Amino acid sequence: MHRYIDFHQLEVGESLPALRKGPITKTQLVRYAGASGDFNPLHTDDSTAQKAGMKGVIAQGPLIMGFVGQAITQWVPKRQLKRFKVRFMGMTFPGDMITVRATVTEKKYEGNTLKIVCDTVAQDQNGEVKLSGQFEAFVTK
Amino acid sequence: MTMANLSKVGLQLPTYTFEVERVKIKEFVQAIGDDNPIYQDKGIAITEGYRDTPCPPTFVTSAFQEFTGAYFKAFEELGIPLSKVLHGEEEYEYLGEIYPGDMLLCKMKVESIVQKETKSGKIDLVTLQTLFTTQTGQEVLRAKSLIIERR
Repeated sequence: MHRYIDFHQLEVGESLPALRKGPITKTQLVRYAGASGDFNPLHTDDSTAQKAGMKGVIAQGPLIMGFVGQAITQWVPKRQLKRFKVRFMGMTFPGDMITVRATVTEKKYEGNTLKIVCDTVAQDQNGEVKLSGQFEAFVTK
Repeated sequence: MTMANLSKVGLQLPTYTFEVERVKIKEFVQAIGDDNPIYQDKGIAITEGYRDTPCPPTFVTSAFQEFTGAYFKAFEELGIPLSKVLHGEEEYEYLGEIYPGDMLLCKMKVESIVQKETKSGKIDLVTLQTLFTTQTGQEVLRAKSLIIERR
C-alpha cells in the first residue's frame, strides 16, 4: 500500500517531497480538453493562440491545478483532503516541466485528528510560478 | 462603464445535473498523468476505504464546461464576453466523495462582483459559487471560481 506523509513527524515550515512532472505535450492538452470539456481553441490550435498574442497553445489552468491535486493525493489520502485553493499566476506552454512543491504552514491537533494546512506552488523548469495555493487536510492519528 | 452588471449579485442560475461516469474519471486522470490507482482500480479503492473509484480533487471542473454548458450560461447571464474571461482562482471544499454513477445536482450562484482599478485598466472580479449535491441529497462539494473580466 502507498505510504502517505506522516505529518505527525513534520514541523511547521518543513517541505513535502516535490512532484516533478515530465514535459507537457500538445497531445496532453488535447486529451485534457476532451477529458474536461474545455474546448477553448487557445489550448489546441496554435493559430488561435498566436492571434491572441501567444507564441502557441497554452495549457488549461485547471490542468496544472490537476498536477497539484495529483501531488496532494500522494501526500494525503483523498478522503482526508478538506480544502484546496489555487490562484492562477502564469501561462504554461508545451515543453514546460512542472514541479509541485508544498510546505506545512499549520498543524493543529483537534481531538483524535490533526488538521494540517500547507502552502503549495507549481513552477516550471525556470522557476516561474504557474499557480500558488493552499490545501487543508484532516489526518488521523 | 461597467460591463458585469452589479445587480446580478446573488443571481441563482438554474440547477443543472452532471452525471459522473467511470470512464470519464479514467480519461481525466490519464490526461493529467495521475497514476494513483484509487482513481482507476475499484479493488484498490475499496482496500483504501472508498466505496468505489473516487473522483480526483479537480474532477468537478468538467461539470462547468461543455458537458453542461454551465460557465457559458453564467457568462451569458452576466453579460461577459468569453474573450474577456480570465480564470483567476479556483477553490474546492470537499464534503464527501464523488463516485461513478453519482448524478450531481449543481446549484451555481453569483456570490459577488467587485470592481477594481489596475495598471492596465478596470477589471471586474466575479465570484461564482457552486454547491454539488448527490441524488440522495448529500452535499459533496462546494466550489468557488473567481473569474476576472478584463475591460
